[in-house]
Amino acid sequence: MDAQIRDINLANPDEFEEWKNFLESLGIANFSGAEVDPLDGTIGLFEGDKLVGTGSYSENILKYIGVCHKDTSNGVYFNKVVSSLLTRLGQLGVFHVFVFTKPQYSKSFQHVGFSEIVQSENAAFLETGNYNIKDYLAEIPHLAGDDISAIVMNANPFTLGHRYLVEAAAKRSKHVYVFVVSTDKSLFNSKERLELVKEGTKDLENVEVVSGGDYLVSYATFPSYFLKSDKSKVVYQTTIDALVFKEWIAKNLNIKTRFLGTEPESKTTDVYNEVLRDVLPPEVKVEVIPRKENGSGDIISARTVRLAIKNDNISSIRNIVPTSTYDFIENHLGELQDRIKKGMKIDGN
Amino acid sequence: MEIKKTAMDGTLESSDIQITVSKGTNGVNIDLTSDVKERFGDDIIATIKKVASDFQLDNVNIKAVDQGALDCVIKARAITAIQRALGNSEEPAWEAL
Repeated sequence: MDAQIRDINLANPDEFEEWKNFLESLGIANFSGAEVDPLDGTIGLFEGDKLVGTGSYSENILKYIGVCHKDTSNGVYFNKVVSSLLTRLGQLGVFHVFVFTKPQYSKSFQHVGFSEIVQSENAAFLETGNYNIKDYLAEIPHLAGDDISAIVMNANPFTLGHRYLVEAAAKRSKHVYVFVVSTDKSLFNSKERLELVKEGTKDLENVEVVSGGDYLVSYATFPSYFLKSDKSKVVYQTTIDALVFKEWIAKNLNIKTRFLGTEPESKTTDVYNEVLRDVLPPEVKVEVIPRKENGSGDIISARTVRLAIKNDNISSIRNIVPTSTYDFIENHLGELQDRIKKGMKIDGN
Repeated sequence: MEIKKTAMDGTLESSDIQITVSKGTNGVNIDLTSDVKERFGDDIIATIKKVASDFQLDNVNIKAVDQGALDCVIKARAITAIQRALGNSEEPAWEAL
Protein backbone atom coordinates (compact mmCIF):
# COMPACT_ATOMS: atom_id res chain seq x y z
CA MET A 1 0.00 0.00 0.00
CA ASP A 2 1.21 3.45 -0.77
CA ALA A 3 2.08 5.32 2.40
CA GLN A 4 0.77 8.85 2.87
CA ILE A 5 2.20 11.79 4.75
CA ARG A 6 -0.20 13.52 7.15
CA ASP A 7 0.20 16.05 9.93
CA ILE A 8 0.25 14.77 13.50
CA ASN A 9 -1.23 17.07 16.10
CA LEU A 10 0.67 16.34 19.32
CA ALA A 11 -1.76 18.48 21.31
CA ASN A 12 -4.38 15.80 20.66
CA PRO A 13 -3.86 13.14 23.39
CA ASP A 14 -4.79 10.19 21.12
CA GLU A 15 -2.40 11.25 18.38
CA PHE A 16 0.31 11.98 20.94
CA GLU A 17 -0.10 8.47 22.43
CA GLU A 18 0.15 6.79 19.04
CA TRP A 19 3.20 8.87 18.11
CA LYS A 20 4.89 8.22 21.44
CA ASN A 21 4.19 4.47 21.36
CA PHE A 22 5.56 4.26 17.84
CA LEU A 23 8.81 6.05 18.73
CA GLU A 24 9.17 4.05 21.94
CA SER A 25 8.98 0.86 19.89
CA LEU A 26 12.01 2.21 18.00
CA GLY A 27 13.97 2.93 21.18
CA ILE A 28 13.37 6.68 21.49
CA ALA A 29 12.55 7.36 25.13
CA ASN A 30 12.56 11.04 26.04
CA PHE A 31 9.18 12.75 25.77
CA SER A 32 9.55 15.40 28.45
CA GLY A 33 7.81 18.71 27.93
CA ALA A 34 11.16 20.48 27.55
CA GLU A 35 11.81 18.33 24.49
CA VAL A 36 8.36 18.06 22.97
CA ASP A 37 6.98 21.57 23.59
CA PRO A 38 9.46 23.41 21.34
CA LEU A 39 8.49 21.27 18.31
CA ASP A 40 7.03 23.48 15.58
CA GLY A 41 5.55 20.67 13.55
CA THR A 42 5.25 16.90 13.32
CA ILE A 43 4.39 14.74 10.35
CA GLY A 44 3.46 11.09 10.18
CA LEU A 45 3.75 8.56 7.40
CA PHE A 46 0.71 6.28 7.39
CA GLU A 47 -0.10 2.97 5.72
CA GLY A 48 -3.85 3.33 5.94
CA ASP A 49 -4.32 4.10 9.62
CA LYS A 50 -1.05 2.61 10.74
CA LEU A 51 1.80 4.94 11.61
CA VAL A 52 5.00 3.72 9.94
CA GLY A 53 7.21 6.79 10.11
CA THR A 54 7.45 10.22 11.69
CA GLY A 55 9.58 13.30 11.93
CA SER A 56 9.40 16.72 13.60
CA TYR A 57 11.14 20.05 13.45
CA SER A 58 11.92 22.80 15.88
CA GLU A 59 13.07 25.95 14.08
CA ASN A 60 15.69 24.62 11.64
CA ILE A 61 16.44 21.37 13.47
CA LEU A 62 14.96 18.01 12.62
CA LYS A 63 13.89 15.94 15.62
CA TYR A 64 12.21 12.67 16.55
CA ILE A 65 12.76 10.99 13.23
CA GLY A 66 11.78 7.36 13.25
CA VAL A 67 10.64 4.90 10.60
CA CYS A 68 9.63 1.30 10.59
CA HIS A 69 10.72 -0.40 7.39
CA LYS A 70 9.58 -3.92 8.09
CA ASP A 71 7.56 -4.06 4.88
CA THR A 72 9.62 -1.92 2.53
CA SER A 73 13.14 -1.88 1.21
CA ASN A 74 15.56 0.06 3.38
CA GLY A 75 15.43 3.79 3.27
CA VAL A 76 12.22 4.33 1.29
CA TYR A 77 10.21 5.58 4.26
CA PHE A 78 13.15 7.38 5.80
CA ASN A 79 13.73 9.33 2.60
CA LYS A 80 10.05 10.13 2.33
CA VAL A 81 9.90 11.51 5.88
CA VAL A 82 13.07 13.59 5.57
CA SER A 83 11.99 14.81 2.14
CA SER A 84 8.61 15.97 3.43
CA LEU A 85 10.23 17.75 6.36
CA LEU A 86 12.67 19.58 4.08
CA THR A 87 9.90 20.56 1.68
CA ARG A 88 7.81 21.79 4.61
CA LEU A 89 10.70 23.85 5.98
CA GLY A 90 11.47 25.13 2.49
CA GLN A 91 7.93 26.46 2.21
CA LEU A 92 8.58 28.33 5.46
CA GLY A 93 11.72 29.79 3.90
CA VAL A 94 14.08 27.61 5.94
CA PHE A 95 16.69 25.89 3.80
CA HIS A 96 19.62 25.48 6.17
CA VAL A 97 18.69 22.50 8.31
CA PHE A 98 20.45 20.60 11.09
CA VAL A 99 20.03 17.21 12.66
CA PHE A 100 21.43 15.57 15.77
CA THR A 101 21.38 11.80 15.53
CA LYS A 102 23.05 8.63 16.70
CA PRO A 103 26.32 7.92 14.89
CA GLN A 104 24.86 4.81 13.22
CA TYR A 105 22.26 6.94 11.38
CA SER A 106 24.73 9.49 10.09
CA LYS A 107 25.14 7.59 6.82
CA SER A 108 21.38 7.59 6.16
CA PHE A 109 21.32 11.38 6.43
CA GLN A 110 24.42 11.72 4.27
CA HIS A 111 22.65 9.64 1.66
CA VAL A 112 19.98 12.34 1.40
CA GLY A 113 22.44 15.19 1.07
CA PHE A 114 23.42 16.05 4.65
CA SER A 115 27.10 16.60 5.52
CA GLU A 116 28.46 15.50 8.82
CA ILE A 117 30.02 18.36 10.77
CA VAL A 118 31.25 16.37 13.77
CA GLN A 119 30.73 13.04 15.42
CA SER A 120 31.24 12.11 19.05
CA GLU A 121 31.02 8.72 20.68
CA ASN A 122 27.25 8.90 21.01
CA ALA A 123 26.06 11.58 18.62
CA ALA A 124 26.51 12.95 15.12
CA PHE A 125 25.71 16.50 14.05
CA LEU A 126 24.86 17.14 10.41
CA GLU A 127 23.59 19.95 8.22
CA THR A 128 22.15 20.43 4.75
CA GLY A 129 20.91 23.22 2.54
CA ASN A 130 22.02 26.48 1.06
CA TYR A 131 24.61 27.35 3.71
CA ASN A 132 27.24 25.39 5.62
CA ILE A 133 29.97 25.79 8.18
CA LYS A 134 32.51 26.59 5.47
CA ASP A 135 30.38 29.54 4.34
CA TYR A 136 30.23 30.70 7.96
CA LEU A 137 34.00 30.49 8.35
CA ALA A 138 34.54 32.35 5.07
CA GLU A 139 32.53 35.30 6.46
CA ILE A 140 34.84 35.73 9.47
CA PRO A 141 37.91 37.93 9.04
CA HIS A 142 41.00 35.75 9.23
CA LEU A 143 43.71 37.20 11.46
CA ALA A 144 47.39 36.58 10.87
CA GLY A 145 49.75 35.11 13.42
CA ASP A 146 49.99 32.20 15.77
CA ASP A 147 48.97 33.73 19.04
CA ILE A 148 45.21 33.85 18.56
CA SER A 149 42.66 33.15 21.27
CA ALA A 150 38.88 33.06 21.52
CA ILE A 151 36.05 33.69 23.95
CA VAL A 152 32.44 32.68 23.45
CA MET A 153 29.79 34.68 25.28
CA ASN A 154 26.07 35.24 25.29
CA ALA A 155 26.54 38.66 26.93
CA ASN A 156 22.91 39.17 27.90
CA PRO A 157 23.87 42.03 28.22
CA PHE A 158 27.56 42.93 28.08
CA THR A 159 28.82 43.84 31.60
CA LEU A 160 32.12 44.92 33.08
CA GLY A 161 32.55 41.25 34.00
CA HIS A 162 32.60 40.34 30.31
CA ARG A 163 34.83 43.30 29.66
CA TYR A 164 37.26 42.06 32.31
CA LEU A 165 37.43 38.64 30.63
CA VAL A 166 38.03 40.18 27.20
CA GLU A 167 40.73 42.49 28.57
CA ALA A 168 42.50 39.59 30.28
CA ALA A 169 42.49 37.62 27.03
CA ALA A 170 43.61 40.66 25.04
CA LYS A 171 46.59 41.11 27.33
CA ARG A 172 47.63 37.49 27.12
CA SER A 173 47.34 36.95 23.39
CA LYS A 174 48.03 38.87 20.24
CA HIS A 175 44.52 38.61 18.82
CA VAL A 176 41.22 37.69 20.42
CA TYR A 177 38.05 36.58 18.70
CA VAL A 178 34.93 37.23 20.73
CA PHE A 179 32.11 35.03 19.46
CA VAL A 180 28.70 36.26 20.51
CA VAL A 181 25.99 33.62 20.74
CA SER A 182 23.45 34.40 18.05
CA THR A 183 20.42 32.37 19.13
CA ASP A 184 17.49 34.62 19.95
CA LYS A 185 16.29 33.14 23.22
CA SER A 186 17.54 35.83 25.56
CA LEU A 187 16.20 39.11 26.89
CA PHE A 188 18.57 41.08 24.68
CA ASN A 189 18.26 39.88 21.09
CA SER A 190 21.28 38.74 19.13
CA LYS A 191 21.74 41.99 17.25
CA GLU A 192 21.62 44.04 20.45
CA ARG A 193 24.04 41.72 22.25
CA LEU A 194 26.51 41.72 19.36
CA GLU A 195 26.31 45.52 19.07
CA LEU A 196 26.85 46.03 22.83
CA VAL A 197 29.89 43.75 22.84
CA LYS A 198 31.30 45.66 19.86
CA GLU A 199 30.63 49.01 21.54
CA GLY A 200 32.02 47.86 24.86
CA THR A 201 35.32 46.61 23.38
CA LYS A 202 35.79 49.26 20.70
CA ASP A 203 38.97 50.59 22.32
CA LEU A 204 40.68 47.20 22.38
CA GLU A 205 42.48 47.06 19.06
CA ASN A 206 43.34 43.38 19.03
CA VAL A 207 39.77 42.22 19.65
CA GLU A 208 37.56 41.01 16.80
CA VAL A 209 33.88 40.63 17.70
CA VAL A 210 31.92 38.20 15.50
CA SER A 211 28.63 36.34 15.58
CA GLY A 212 28.70 32.71 16.68
CA GLY A 213 26.15 31.92 13.97
CA ASP A 214 24.48 28.55 14.15
CA TYR A 215 27.67 26.90 15.26
CA LEU A 216 28.63 28.12 18.75
CA VAL A 217 26.38 27.54 21.74
CA SER A 218 23.46 27.85 19.37
CA TYR A 219 19.99 26.49 19.74
CA ALA A 220 21.12 23.86 17.20
CA THR A 221 24.31 22.70 18.89
CA PHE A 222 23.41 23.23 22.49
CA PRO A 223 19.67 23.49 23.24
CA SER A 224 20.19 22.80 26.97
CA TYR A 225 21.86 26.16 27.30
CA PHE A 226 18.45 27.65 26.59
CA LEU A 227 16.22 24.94 28.07
CA LYS A 228 16.49 23.34 31.49
CA SER A 229 18.05 19.88 31.14
CA ASP A 230 19.71 17.19 33.17
CA LYS A 231 23.45 16.82 33.33
CA SER A 232 23.95 13.88 30.96
CA LYS A 233 22.15 15.78 28.25
CA VAL A 234 24.28 18.83 28.79
CA VAL A 235 27.44 16.73 28.52
CA TYR A 236 26.22 15.11 25.33
CA GLN A 237 25.39 18.44 23.69
CA THR A 238 28.40 20.37 24.92
CA THR A 239 30.66 17.64 23.57
CA ILE A 240 29.26 18.31 20.10
CA ASP A 241 29.61 22.06 20.63
CA ALA A 242 33.22 21.64 21.80
CA LEU A 243 34.04 19.42 18.82
CA VAL A 244 32.60 21.97 16.37
CA PHE A 245 34.80 24.61 17.96
CA LYS A 246 37.90 22.45 17.91
CA GLU A 247 37.61 20.71 14.56
CA TRP A 248 36.25 23.60 12.50
CA ILE A 249 36.45 27.02 14.08
CA ALA A 250 39.75 26.82 15.95
CA LYS A 251 41.37 24.83 13.16
CA ASN A 252 40.26 27.21 10.42
CA LEU A 253 40.96 30.46 12.28
CA ASN A 254 44.17 29.19 13.88
CA ILE A 255 42.87 29.70 17.41
CA LYS A 256 45.26 28.28 19.98
CA THR A 257 43.62 29.24 23.27
CA ARG A 258 40.05 29.36 24.49
CA PHE A 259 39.46 31.61 27.48
CA LEU A 260 36.61 30.75 29.83
CA GLY A 261 34.95 32.72 32.55
CA THR A 262 33.79 30.93 35.68
CA GLU A 263 30.08 30.86 36.43
CA PRO A 264 29.46 29.87 40.03
CA GLU A 265 25.73 30.42 39.66
CA SER A 266 25.12 28.32 36.56
CA LYS A 267 25.51 24.54 36.66
CA THR A 268 25.14 24.34 32.89
CA THR A 269 28.11 26.63 32.35
CA ASP A 270 30.11 24.59 34.88
CA VAL A 271 29.47 21.37 32.98
CA TYR A 272 30.19 23.12 29.69
CA ASN A 273 33.55 24.36 30.96
CA GLU A 274 34.38 20.88 32.22
CA VAL A 275 33.65 19.37 28.81
CA LEU A 276 35.70 22.05 27.04
CA ARG A 277 38.68 21.25 29.24
CA ASP A 278 38.19 17.62 28.35
CA VAL A 279 37.74 17.95 24.58
CA LEU A 280 39.81 20.93 23.39
CA PRO A 281 43.40 20.13 24.47
CA PRO A 282 46.01 19.59 23.24
CA GLU A 283 45.12 21.41 19.97
CA VAL A 284 43.45 24.25 21.84
CA LYS A 285 44.60 25.30 25.28
CA VAL A 286 41.91 26.16 27.83
CA GLU A 287 42.47 28.99 30.28
CA VAL A 288 40.06 29.96 33.00
CA ILE A 289 39.86 33.58 34.13
CA PRO A 290 38.32 33.99 37.59
CA ARG A 291 35.33 36.26 37.84
CA LYS A 292 35.68 39.93 38.45
CA GLU A 293 34.23 41.04 41.76
CA ASN A 294 32.84 44.44 42.43
CA GLY A 295 34.14 46.37 45.42
CA SER A 296 32.06 44.55 47.99
CA GLY A 297 33.03 41.02 47.02
CA ASP A 298 29.97 40.20 44.90
CA ILE A 299 30.61 38.85 41.47
CA ILE A 300 29.40 40.76 38.46
CA SER A 301 26.60 38.96 36.72
CA ALA A 302 24.43 39.81 33.74
CA ARG A 303 21.56 38.30 35.70
CA THR A 304 21.84 41.16 38.21
CA VAL A 305 21.42 43.55 35.31
CA ARG A 306 18.34 41.75 34.03
CA LEU A 307 16.83 41.73 37.51
CA ALA A 308 17.43 45.47 37.85
CA ILE A 309 15.62 46.00 34.55
CA LYS A 310 12.69 43.95 35.78
CA ASN A 311 12.59 45.75 39.13
CA ASP A 312 12.92 49.15 37.48
CA ASN A 313 16.02 49.89 39.46
CA ILE A 314 18.68 50.42 36.84
CA SER A 315 20.67 53.06 38.65
CA SER A 316 21.91 50.18 40.87
CA ILE A 317 23.81 48.66 37.95
CA ARG A 318 25.59 51.78 36.77
CA ASN A 319 28.93 50.56 38.15
CA ILE A 320 28.79 47.02 36.72
CA VAL A 321 28.13 47.76 33.05
CA PRO A 322 30.02 49.89 30.51
CA THR A 323 28.48 53.24 29.60
CA SER A 324 27.46 51.91 26.20
CA THR A 325 25.39 49.12 27.81
CA TYR A 326 23.94 51.48 30.40
CA ASP A 327 22.87 54.02 27.80
CA PHE A 328 21.27 51.33 25.71
CA ILE A 329 19.28 50.02 28.69
CA GLU A 330 18.23 53.52 29.69
CA ASN A 331 17.02 54.29 26.18
CA HIS A 332 15.19 50.98 25.74
CA LEU A 333 14.00 50.33 29.27
CA GLY A 334 10.29 50.21 28.44
CA GLU A 335 10.84 47.82 25.54
CA LEU A 336 13.02 45.48 27.63
CA GLN A 337 10.51 45.48 30.47
CA ASP A 338 7.78 44.68 27.96
CA ARG A 339 9.71 41.64 26.80
CA ILE A 340 9.95 40.42 30.42
CA LYS A 341 6.23 41.01 30.91
CA LYS A 342 5.52 39.01 27.77
CA GLY A 343 7.24 36.02 29.36
CA MET A 344 10.93 36.33 28.45
CA LYS A 345 12.81 34.42 31.13
CA ILE A 346 15.54 36.38 32.88
CA ASP A 347 16.91 33.88 35.38
CA GLY A 348 18.43 31.41 32.87
CA ASN A 349 21.24 32.31 30.54
CA MET B 1 19.95 36.85 -14.37
CA GLU B 2 20.29 37.08 -10.63
CA ILE B 3 18.88 34.67 -8.07
CA LYS B 4 16.68 36.57 -5.62
CA LYS B 5 15.97 33.93 -2.99
CA THR B 6 16.59 30.31 -2.16
CA ALA B 7 14.10 27.84 -3.61
CA MET B 8 13.72 24.10 -3.82
CA ASP B 9 11.97 21.51 -5.93
CA GLY B 10 11.83 17.72 -5.99
CA THR B 11 11.88 15.07 -3.30
CA LEU B 12 14.30 12.53 -1.86
CA GLU B 13 12.20 9.62 -3.04
CA SER B 14 13.41 6.97 -5.44
CA SER B 15 13.80 8.13 -9.10
CA ASP B 16 13.55 11.77 -8.09
CA ILE B 17 16.08 14.53 -7.46
CA GLN B 18 15.86 17.36 -4.94
CA ILE B 19 17.32 20.60 -6.23
CA THR B 20 17.96 23.66 -4.06
CA VAL B 21 18.94 26.87 -5.82
CA SER B 22 20.44 29.80 -3.95
CA LYS B 23 22.35 33.00 -4.53
CA GLY B 24 25.97 32.55 -5.55
CA THR B 25 28.92 34.87 -5.96
CA ASN B 26 31.40 32.70 -7.71
CA GLY B 27 30.06 31.24 -10.96
CA VAL B 28 27.78 28.24 -11.28
CA ASN B 29 28.49 25.82 -8.43
CA ILE B 30 26.79 22.45 -8.33
CA ASP B 31 27.07 20.21 -5.31
CA LEU B 32 25.81 16.73 -6.19
CA THR B 33 24.99 13.84 -3.88
CA SER B 34 24.16 10.64 -5.76
CA ASP B 35 24.66 6.91 -5.46
CA VAL B 36 25.41 6.82 -9.15
CA LYS B 37 27.74 9.81 -9.09
CA GLU B 38 30.67 7.81 -10.33
CA ARG B 39 28.90 6.62 -13.48
CA PHE B 40 26.43 9.42 -14.16
CA GLY B 41 27.61 12.36 -12.06
CA ASP B 42 29.05 14.27 -15.03
CA ASP B 43 25.83 13.80 -17.03
CA ILE B 44 23.64 14.98 -14.16
CA ILE B 45 25.81 18.04 -13.60
CA ALA B 46 25.82 18.79 -17.35
CA THR B 47 22.01 18.65 -17.47
CA ILE B 48 21.68 21.07 -14.55
CA LYS B 49 24.39 23.36 -15.97
CA LYS B 50 22.57 23.51 -19.30
CA VAL B 51 19.35 24.64 -17.57
CA ALA B 52 21.27 27.24 -15.56
CA SER B 53 22.85 28.60 -18.72
CA ASP B 54 19.47 28.63 -20.54
CA PHE B 55 18.31 30.95 -17.77
CA GLN B 56 21.52 32.97 -18.15
CA LEU B 57 22.52 32.51 -14.55
CA ASP B 58 26.11 33.60 -14.01
CA ASN B 59 26.35 33.17 -10.26
CA VAL B 60 24.34 30.50 -8.54
CA ASN B 61 24.76 27.72 -5.97
CA ILE B 62 22.85 24.55 -6.73
CA LYS B 63 22.58 21.63 -4.35
CA ALA B 64 21.31 18.45 -5.98
CA VAL B 65 20.46 15.30 -4.05
CA ASP B 66 19.78 12.57 -6.59
CA GLN B 67 17.97 9.31 -5.98
CA GLY B 68 18.38 7.95 -9.49
CA ALA B 69 16.35 10.50 -11.48
CA LEU B 70 16.06 10.31 -15.27
CA ASP B 71 17.35 13.16 -17.36
CA CYS B 72 13.90 14.61 -18.06
CA VAL B 73 13.14 14.63 -14.32
CA ILE B 74 16.42 16.37 -13.54
CA LYS B 75 15.66 19.01 -16.15
CA ALA B 76 12.10 19.57 -14.91
CA ARG B 77 13.16 19.86 -11.27
CA ALA B 78 16.00 22.24 -12.16
CA ILE B 79 13.68 24.48 -14.21
CA THR B 80 11.08 24.67 -11.44
CA ALA B 81 13.62 25.32 -8.68
CA ILE B 82 15.29 28.07 -10.73
CA GLN B 83 11.98 29.69 -11.66
CA ARG B 84 10.94 29.72 -8.02
CA ALA B 85 14.29 31.23 -7.06
CA LEU B 86 13.86 33.91 -9.72
CA GLY B 87 10.30 34.57 -8.58
CA ASN B 88 8.78 33.98 -12.05
CA SER B 89 7.16 30.54 -11.73
CA GLU B 90 3.99 31.89 -13.30
CA GLU B 91 5.51 32.51 -16.72
CA PRO B 92 6.44 29.69 -19.06
CA ALA B 93 10.21 29.33 -19.21
CA TRP B 94 10.60 29.74 -22.97
CA GLU B 95 14.33 30.00 -22.73
CA ALA B 96 14.63 26.56 -21.16
CA LEU B 97 11.88 24.55 -22.85
